[in-house]
Amino acid sequence: EGLCGAPGPNSGCFSEVAYSQSTGQKEQLSRCLQRGIRRVQDLCKVLQLPTVFEETAVSYFQRALQHPSFHLVSLEKKELLGGCCVFVTCRQHNWPLTMGTICSLLYAKQELFASVYLSLQKELGLSVPALSLADLVKTHLNSFRLFQHTADIPARFVEDKETMVTRTMQIVELASETWLVTGRHPVPIVMAAAFLSWQSLQPTARLACTFARFCKLAGVDLPPPAHLRLKELLEILLRMASQLTWLKVFNMDKKTVVKHIGDLLQHRIFLLKNAFCLEDKEEQHATASGEGSLGEGSPGSPPVAGGSAQEESCPLEGKRQREGSPRPLLPPCLINPRKRLRTAALSASDSAITGDEPISDSEIEQYLRGPEEIRAFRKAKAWL
Amino acid sequence: MDQNNSLPPYAQGLASPQGAMTPGIPIFSPMMPYGTGLTPQPVQSTNSLSILEEQQRQQQQQQQQAVQQSTSQQATQGTSGQTPQLFHSQTLTTAPLPGTTPLYPSPMTPMTPITPATPASESSGIVPQLQNIVSTVNLGCKLDLKTIALRARNAEYNPKRFAAVIMRIREPRTTALIFSSGKMVCTGAKSEEQSRLAARKYARVVQKLGFPAKFLDFKIQNMVGSCDVKFPIRLEGLVLTHQQFSSYEPELFPGLIYRMIKPRIVLLIFVSGKVVLTGAKVRAEIYEAFENIYPILKGFRKTT
Repeated sequence: EGLCGAPGPNSGCFSEVAYSQSTGQKEQLSRCLQRGIRRVQDLCKVLQLPTVFEETAVSYFQRALQHPSFHLVSLEKKELLGGCCVFVTCRQHNWPLTMGTICSLLYAKQELFASVYLSLQKELGLSVPALSLADLVKTHLNSFRLFQHTADIPARFVEDKETMVTRTMQIVELASETWLVTGRHPVPIVMAAAFLSWQSLQPTARLACTFARFCKLAGVDLPPPAHLRLKELLEILLRMASQLTWLKVFNMDKKTVVKHIGDLLQHRIFLLKNAFCLEDKEEQHATASGEGSLGEGSPGSPPVAGGSAQEESCPLEGKRQREGSPRPLLPPCLINPRKRLRTAALSASDSAITGDEPISDSEIEQYLRGPEEIRAFRKAKAWL
Repeated sequence: MDQNNSLPPYAQGLASPQGAMTPGIPIFSPMMPYGTGLTPQPVQSTNSLSILEEQQRQQQQQQQQAVQQSTSQQATQGTSGQTPQLFHSQTLTTAPLPGTTPLYPSPMTPMTPITPATPASESSGIVPQLQNIVSTVNLGCKLDLKTIALRARNAEYNPKRFAAVIMRIREPRTTALIFSSGKMVCTGAKSEEQSRLAARKYARVVQKLGFPAKFLDFKIQNMVGSCDVKFPIRLEGLVLTHQQFSSYEPELFPGLIYRMIKPRIVLLIFVSGKVVLTGAKVRAEIYEAFENIYPILKGFRKTT
C-alpha cells in the first residue's frame, strides 16, 4: 500500500519511453535487424542528428535489408549498410557529413564502404545530392581550435571565426572557378584554403608557421593531398597577382603573395580574366580569324575544343612560359597530363578480322608443353 | 555499436553543424525543373555566379517548390522545437514500412527517366574507340583444370585463390578464364571479331590438350569504349541538373557515373573531358550513348 499510490507532480517517477520500447514492436523484427537499427540510432546520437534523420535512416536500413541484394550479405557489410543509410540521410538533408567521418566512426575501410554505398544508391534508387562545399567549410572550421586563446595557442595565432570562414569560402570558390575542386576530395581543398585564409589575415605573425603546424594547432588531421592543393592555389594566386598593377613591380613568391590575398579576392573576376585564357575569348578569336573548324552546328567537322584552341594561342611551354603571359584556365590534369601509354587504334589489318579465320596448328602448339617439359614442370612442382 | 563519445578529428565539428537544433533545414526535393523531361537543360550560368552560389540557388528553388507541393501528410514533431522535415523521395511510391513515421508524401508526378533526344543534324564527329570486349562461350564438356595447367604453357591455376584457369594468348592479345564446367570468359579484345577469334583459339588449345571441346553459345557480354570530347567538364553542374542519372562522389572517385536509360549504358565522365562508356552488348549502343551525352556535355563547357 502506498507504493502504488498516485505519484505527486514532482515525484520524478516518469521518464520518456519510446513507443518501440514499450510495445511488442521489436519482438517482430529479426535480431539482425534489431541490432542494425540500434546501430543506426547510436550513430545518429553520436552525430547529434535531429530525430527525423534517425527515422529516415532507420527506414532506409529496413528497406535495404529486405532487398535481395543485401539480405544475405556479411555482417560486416550490414554494419556498413547502417552507416550508409545515415550518410545518405544526412546528404539528403544537406547535412555536410563526409564519408571519412562515417568510416572513422565505423572503423571501416573506405573501399568497402564505397561499394556498399554505391550498391545502396543503385538498388534503392536513392537520389543523393552533392555535398555542399559551403556547408562543409562552415562545419569543418567549427572543429578548429584556433578561435580561442589557450595555453597551446599563442594570442597571435587566434583568429575570429566568422572572418576566417568568410575568407576560406572565398578561396574555396576561387579554387572551384579555377578547376581545382572538380573531381578532387573536398577536405584537402578546404584545409589548404583555411590555411591560406588564416595566414593572410595576419601575415606578419603567421607566415613562418608551416601547414603541418597549423593543422596541429587547429587540432585537425592534415590529409596528404592538401599540400598539393596548397601548391596549386598558390600558383593561381601568383598568376592573379601578376595582373595587379600595384603588385607587378614586386617579385612575388608563394610567401609574399599571401599578404595580398585580400586584394586578390576582391578583384578576383577581373584578375582571372586577365591572368588566364578563358574559353569564350578563344572561341571568338578562332571564329574571327575564319578558321571555320569551330562550327558547333556543322556535322562531320571535328570539333576544335577549348583545350586545343587555347593551346594554339596560349602556347603551353611549361617552365619556359613567361609568368606574365596568360595560361589556359584548365584543370591541372590537362595542364600537366600524366604521360600514359596510349593503346593505338585498331590498325587496318586488325579491322579486317572477321573472327572466322582458320587457326593454324603451329600457332596453337606454341602454347602447349612437350612431354619433357611436362616432366620437368612436375619435378619442379614436387620440389616446391 | 558502443556509443563513441570521443569523436575522431574528422568527426569533430561535423557532429553538429551550425543551426543543428534550429528549424529551417533546407528541404530537399528531387523533382528537378526538367521542363518536358525529354531534353534536360544544361546549366546556364552567368559569369557572376560561381558553382557554389549556383548550388545554393538551386537548393533554394527546390525548397520553394517543395513547400508549394507539400501535402497534408506532414508529421508534427513540435516537442523539441524542431520543425517537421519534409522529404520527397521519388522512390517511395509504396507505403512506408510499419514502425516508421510516415513523413514522406508520394511524389506528385512519377519521374520517368528518359534519355535526351539528339537531333540527327548535330553529330559530334567523335567516334568512341572500343577498348575491351568481354565474351563467353560454352566448350560443352567438363574440364580437368589441373591437366590444363600442367600441359599448357600459357596457363596459370591457383585453386585457393580462384577456381578457374587463367590462360593468355598473344594474338589477339587476350585473357581467358576457363572453368571446370566447360564455360569460358574471354576478355581484352578490341573488337567483336577479335573476341570471337580469340575464343576460338582458346577452344582449340583446350581441344589439343585432349578434351572434346566445342564452341557453343558464343556471346558478347560487355563492350567498353572511350573517347575524349577535348574540353573540361563541370561535373558539379552536371550532377545538379541530371541528378536522376548521375552519381558524383569526389570522395570516392574523381569521375561522374552517368547511368543512361536508353540505351542502357553507364558512362564515366571525367573533368578532363574523357568519357568511358560501358555496358553495351553491341557497338551501336556505345555510339548512340555518346551521341546522346555529347550535347549535354557541351552545355557544361562554358560554365566558369
